[in-house]
Amino acid sequence: MTTDELAQLLAQQPVAILHRLARGRVQRHFRAGKRRLIDMLIQHSTNNLAGLESDLQALIEERQSRVQTPVPPANPVPPRQTAPHTSRRPTRTHEPESTEPGVTLTAWLEGLGVPTPQPFVPDPWQEEALAGLAETDVVVSVPTGSGKTYVAVEAARRAMSENRTIIYTSPLKALSNTKFTEFSKIFGSDQVGILTGDRQDNAQAPILIMTTEILRNLLYDAASGEIDVRLDTLGLVILDESQYIADPERGVVWEETIIFCPSQAKLLLLSASIGNPQDIADWLTSIRPSPCRLVRHSKRTVPLRAGYLHPNGKLTPLFRTAGIPYGHPGQLHPEAKRLFLQYEEDTLPSGRTRR
Amino acid sequence: MPPSIHPVDLIAALRDKSLTPAIVFLTSRRACDEAMEAFDHAQTVLPPARQEAIAAALERVIAQYPSIAEHPLIPTVQRIGVAAHHAGHLPSWKIAIEELMRQGCLDAVFATTTLAAGVDFPARTVVITQSSIRKARDFMDLTIGEVQQIAGRAGRRGKDYVGFAVVTPSPYIDLGVLTKGFTGNPEAIDSQFTITYPMVLNLLKAHQHNQIQAILAKSFAQFQLNQRAELLERKLDTLHLQMEPFGPRVCTDWITQWHTFDQARRQKSHRHQTVRHEAPEMTARFHFLTPGRVVGLNRGRGVVLRQYRSKGQKSPMVTILRPGGAVTECPAGIVTEIYDRIFDCEEQPGYPWCTAASFDELHYQLTELPTRLPVLPILVSKESEPLPDAIVQSLGDFPCPTCSSRSACQKDYLIASRMRQEQQRHMKSIQALRTSLWHRFQERIDVLQKFGYLTPESQLTADGEWARLIRIDHSLLITELIRAEAFTGADPAVLTGIMASIAHDDDRPGAFPRISSGLSSLLGQVRKLAESLSPYEDPPLLRADIAAVAERWVSDPNLTWIGLCRSTTMAEGDIYRLLARTLEFLSQLHTLKATHPGLADTASKALALIRRGVLEELP
Repeated sequence: MTTDELAQLLAQQPVAILHRLARGRVQRHFRAGKRRLIDMLIQHSTNNLAGLESDLQALIEERQSRVQTPVPPANPVPPRQTAPHTSRRPTRTHEPESTEPGVTLTAWLEGLGVPTPQPFVPDPWQEEALAGLAETDVVVSVPTGSGKTYVAVEAARRAMSENRTIIYTSPLKALSNTKFTEFSKIFGSDQVGILTGDRQDNAQAPILIMTTEILRNLLYDAASGEIDVRLDTLGLVILDESQYIADPERGVVWEETIIFCPSQAKLLLLSASIGNPQDIADWLTSIRPSPCRLVRHSKRTVPLRAGYLHPNGKLTPLFRTAGIPYGHPGQLHPEAKRLFLQYEEDTLPSGRTRR
Repeated sequence: MPPSIHPVDLIAALRDKSLTPAIVFLTSRRACDEAMEAFDHAQTVLPPARQEAIAAALERVIAQYPSIAEHPLIPTVQRIGVAAHHAGHLPSWKIAIEELMRQGCLDAVFATTTLAAGVDFPARTVVITQSSIRKARDFMDLTIGEVQQIAGRAGRRGKDYVGFAVVTPSPYIDLGVLTKGFTGNPEAIDSQFTITYPMVLNLLKAHQHNQIQAILAKSFAQFQLNQRAELLERKLDTLHLQMEPFGPRVCTDWITQWHTFDQARRQKSHRHQTVRHEAPEMTARFHFLTPGRVVGLNRGRGVVLRQYRSKGQKSPMVTILRPGGAVTECPAGIVTEIYDRIFDCEEQPGYPWCTAASFDELHYQLTELPTRLPVLPILVSKESEPLPDAIVQSLGDFPCPTCSSRSACQKDYLIASRMRQEQQRHMKSIQALRTSLWHRFQERIDVLQKFGYLTPESQLTADGEWARLIRIDHSLLITELIRAEAFTGADPAVLTGIMASIAHDDDRPGAFPRISSGLSSLLGQVRKLAESLSPYEDPPLLRADIAAVAERWVSDPNLTWIGLCRSTTMAEGDIYRLLARTLEFLSQLHTLKATHPGLADTASKALALIRRGVLEELP
């Protein structure tokens, strides 16, 4: 489809679809008129018109199917989503206003305090990831703070016992430094080395911490014939924060690293919760020698509660329930709702002015 | 009511409900700093025991990183137990705050949202004051993933039963974004694969040109494009199924046949329309309404003086001389009879359309006419204008007019042709999805061939061999600068200045020291080159003030860190990051020792000169 045809097709669509297309593509799209929005969309994806087009087709399709079946089937759970409580409802569904009052502040604050120290028992998903790593590549997608580091450390320990080199990469130099200190404490400082853009310590150690760019460069050099012994004995590559693969500027480095990663080394991708970890796993399966194992869960280790603090210092729960009502963003606590409406009225007398 | 809660009240409220330690995410660095200033006059201070604990913990960090010994925030942190942590601070300060937080000495940290993605230190509570985040000079709504990343800092494993995320409004908050973020599923991520010049050079170094398509096919980008293509292929399949009832009829490709036939037919009917607005009788009569002709009207008779077509009138017009000597303009339709009698009439271009003599003559003749006159019989042929030969010919080529499935074709054509158009569009898209990466790669190859890094056979030239070692942003600009020998004779300070201005991509304004004339003239050349390369690579900002900051640090070995910071309005964290990034760029130049010993030597001198003071002490 040529650019003109695409522009025509876009012009035929309702503005709502264009705005949905613009999410993540165009900044401040909500301010633009329809024609300008089309211009911006096409300008943004001059390199990837096909992508824009197929997204558009998907949206049109979705819209059509919604028009045809005005009542969606109850709780459409896509087959890939394993977590039942986070199955997303169509956003426009009207939430039935439940009449029961929201949770009280005291109930919401209950459980505050410091638990007694418990002996550390690895979570089932951590065991699963480690077991999977004994055979093949593993993609881990779990919420922030669930203990990905434990998996990394244990995996490194097991690979070390087989006299293999381990490379651990993180996206930021600061994170690399933190991990270097942490790993040095666990494995002993002579066992851990660090390579960043401007720092090289103990570069022949069995565990190497580096930024992903450095690993990519090592792999490039190895591919063009410069021999690096560290890559021959490489047994495990841990890519931390691998959701960076979607970073507009640096994401390409993660892809290159994974493509060129030697096939004898296992890959361990640690990522925060993302929407499509199965895609990543499928991709790895398609390019790596053995099928990749996906470990995901979306339950936080420490449960979360959301609150609302009014500028006058009044604290109320944000949702009707004490915990987060996953999948039901409309279930606000009546008190929080009232206070926020009052806040909006007080601060924005002449309609919303957002930057 | 204040637009947002005062920081002191906020911390008091959190302490009151024992929701501390907390991380308070604010919109900007400035907001963090102002929040800290707000505590200058706060009455509440920590009990002495805790103040001492903070002091002791800070002492230990200072022993490792002496550069923060005189940090202006230390007294406030000790007194109040609250700190700020953002990208404007030195990494050592941030390490110190993280350490204090881990030991549980602090009640709250004011941080910018960038922290959420970076270093991890958890707290019992996170406070969210905004629903948008500054990305690339603009504010965008937080994604679900980002909200969960922020909320993920709440609740320390082993130290808390529950974590709390507290929303407190500020003028730019949209509660909907946050509630959706808390309760939703994180977004799917998309590949951001781009093809860079160093990638092309390195791939061609290690692989044959014809193997590369297979390598690109292994990317996540291609994986996702394939997914889309498969989606379209499934759609194509359903379309095929839907098209089955419209499959081959008498002719195999009846849609095209019908389409052409239909076009031809339309053309025909179009011709009819132009004729139709005149009645055929009228057309037939018109030929007889010549000057001098006697005609019958509704009342009486007249003599035609002229006939004409006027743009302002629908029907053809005639000018008629009436018995009284009146000359009237009327549509030809007013004529009821055409008599078989013609008088001589000498025409004249102006009113009364005939010479004065013949006008008088006609007037006289008209009054002298007998009461009965023979009427001219006019045959009206129903036959319209024939079709042009070409169309008759082409219609004859079609089987359609006599075909047995004609009515079916006519009925189905609209639906079927729409489906076939869709089919073709999908096929084009699938083609584009499958090959777009390879085309982009090919484009890059063309550019590199143009500049002489690749031979026409896509082998690396001598220049390409070393250029592939420069694997940073703006690599084309840097390699072109090296080839233009821009750096010959440049001292380490000037080289550092140039590299810093290439490396720096932030456009925060500020005031900076003066730039030396040597650096400024070289920077002018770099700008010109960057401008000429802009069709192939986005030019860097190339700020002179940034170059000057880096140059000063290298050219004056006695300059202290404090001195450098005083000479500019940049935050120390930014200066640190600028120099660290410059180090990275310079160490890439250092890898060129085999081919450019002079440049590599200057780069290593510059590296040694940069690494002092704060930059040496930090990891």
